Amino acid sequence: MARWGMVIDLDRCTGCAACEVACKSENNVAAVSVEQADMGRASSWMKVMAHVEGEFPDTTMHFYPRPCMHCDNPPCIRVCPVQATYIDDEGIVGQIYARCIGCRYCANACPYMVKYFNWYGPEWSEAERQHLNPDVSVRPAGVIEKCTFCHHRLQKAREDARAEGRELREEDYQPACVDVCPTNAIIFGDLDNPSHAVHTLKDDPRVLRLMEDLGTQPKVYYLRPRD
Amino acid sequence: MLQDAFRGGKRYWILLGFWVALIVVGLAAYGRQLSEGLYITGMSQDVTWGLYISQFTFLVGVAASAVMVVLPYYLHDYKAFGKMVILGEFLAVAAVLMCGLFIVVDMGQPARVANIILHPSPNSVMFWDMLVLTGYLLLNLVIGAVTFEAERKGAPPHNWVRPLIYLSIPWAVSIHTVTAFLYSGLEARPFWMTAILAPRFLASAFSSGPSLLILMAIIIRRFTRFDAGWEAIQKLATIVVYAMVINLFFVLVELFTGLYSDMPHHLHAFEYLFVGLEGRAALVPWMWVNAALTVCAVVLLLIPGIRRQERFLAPLCVVVILAIWIEKGLAMVVTGFIPAPLGQITEYAPTAPEIAITVGVYALGFFVLTVLYKIVVNVRERLEAT
Repeated sequence: MARWGMVIDLDRCTGCAACEVACKSENNVAAVSVEQADMGRASSWMKVMAHVEGEFPDTTMHFYPRPCMHCDNPPCIRVCPVQATYIDDEGIVGQIYARCIGCRYCANACPYMVKYFNWYGPEWSEAERQHLNPDVSVRPAGVIEKCTFCHHRLQKAREDARAEGRELREEDYQPACVDVCPTNAIIFGDLDNPSHAVHTLKDDPRVLRLMEDLGTQPKVYYLRPRD
Repeated sequence: MLQDAFRGGKRYWILLGFWVALIVVGLAAYGRQLSEGLYITGMSQDVTWGLYISQFTFLVGVAASAVMVVLPYYLHDYKAFGKMVILGEFLAVAAVLMCGLFIVVDMGQPARVANIILHPSPNSVMFWDMLVLTGYLLLNLVIGAVTFEAERKGAPPHNWVRPLIYLSIPWAVSIHTVTAFLYSGLEARPFWMTAILAPRFLASAFSSGPSLLILMAIIIRRFTRFDAGWEAIQKLATIVVYAMVINLFFVLVELFTGLYSDMPHHLHAFEYLFVGLEGRAALVPWMWVNAALTVCAVVLLLIPGIRRQERFLAPLCVVVILAIWIEKGLAMVVTGFIPAPLGQITEYAPTAPEIAITVGVYALGFFVLTVLYKIVVNVRERLEAT
């Protein structure tokens, strides 16, 4: 059984936010108006967070692309009163949109702020509507949604591999943010499979995981910037 | 007995009409929220719980406080609470009702509320909270109705309610403990994640709830011929002041831990509350008002000469309720989100429709309370006349 995970090299990330855009486009995450964004209602399953160290003018800035950490011990699952959020056999944390009651308890339990609530229904222009991804469901107002590691891509890759009568290869299943990254800062694969790049990278001495001390066991690893 | 709810003087109907008017305003705002979504509130991705859940937390305390009359009366046979106990139980019924409504109006998909039963999740504190609150509502409704009916007939209540009464005592403690666990079990929110939260909730509940009960008893004895008894009111006042002192002690314990350890996680929330964080200070004036009200209530209520005069006791009860409302109904929930775990500071202020819905829920609760108290008052008046 695979255990999907991600390694993000902070030295390579330029903060261009291509991953954010690719994610929104792939997963039918609607853009919101400026006013609503100012009110803090924008959803960004993948979000590039800027981290500034030091006092001006001696500052350094690093960008942390932040998807769902797909924790092995996810606080969001523990608190859900209707079991609308779950972790599957391959370690992907998902959300059952049709069951979610929209209480937002999971959003409060998540230390990484990756569970987004739909404050209103998604709105698209006619042009945008033409480009919706048919593989990803559209979520209504009043439910929580989140990064799925582009789970639909895994299903598709698996079907293709089966049709061609072969095993699933590392390159067959890559989330949209990984595909689009111009500097290859995001590496994705099966953490338990020795032939996958993430398997060795996760043990790199530069590795850090966000808020590891909370015991969440995130499956997104960061490679600390070299000084 | 029930027909008393449908017969009443002009004042009774005006009061009910007033509640209905507020309920209609709340319903209109709720209709908008249902069709357009929760964006009509002031909440955001960073502050995902606001006024609704804060009121829920405050009212769980009011509901739990019924135990402060039930316990002395049934366990210690404290006779002076004989007439007060039904007022406490019915106040709990109305309060739990409002709690349930505040949860429902906060939901993004209220039509799916049955999912909590269809997909029971023992790992979720919210599931347990639903269970204990529903149980508490039923317990108080059954106990209140059965004991009151027996009293009306002048007979002792059936024996089978006795175990229910005893059960309702730890149950009252459980509703506020489980409600505190809703918050204190979240590792992502250091402001909430404190073991003192449940004891603090109970202490503040046992000061705000009985304060409300004192006010109700004073109002009822002013406007009707039913008097719950000055001794009972005085005993409640003593409970209020000690609970208030304990609550203040718990708050100071919490402040010490945060300030002395100097750990940013513990410090930031208190900084936000009392001085503001990075220039954001929406709650600062409220918190200083809260501090002033708390000190004023504790000092004045501790003086027996003041506590024993109705003209001082009634306004001081209002002060206690206001202080606890600011603490629990305003600051406690929102501050858990500030700053967010990743450092962002987003403030929250409720919007007009959000306030309208909140007022509507309170009005519905007070409508039910008015009707229940009307029945109690009429039956009592008849009993005293004979």
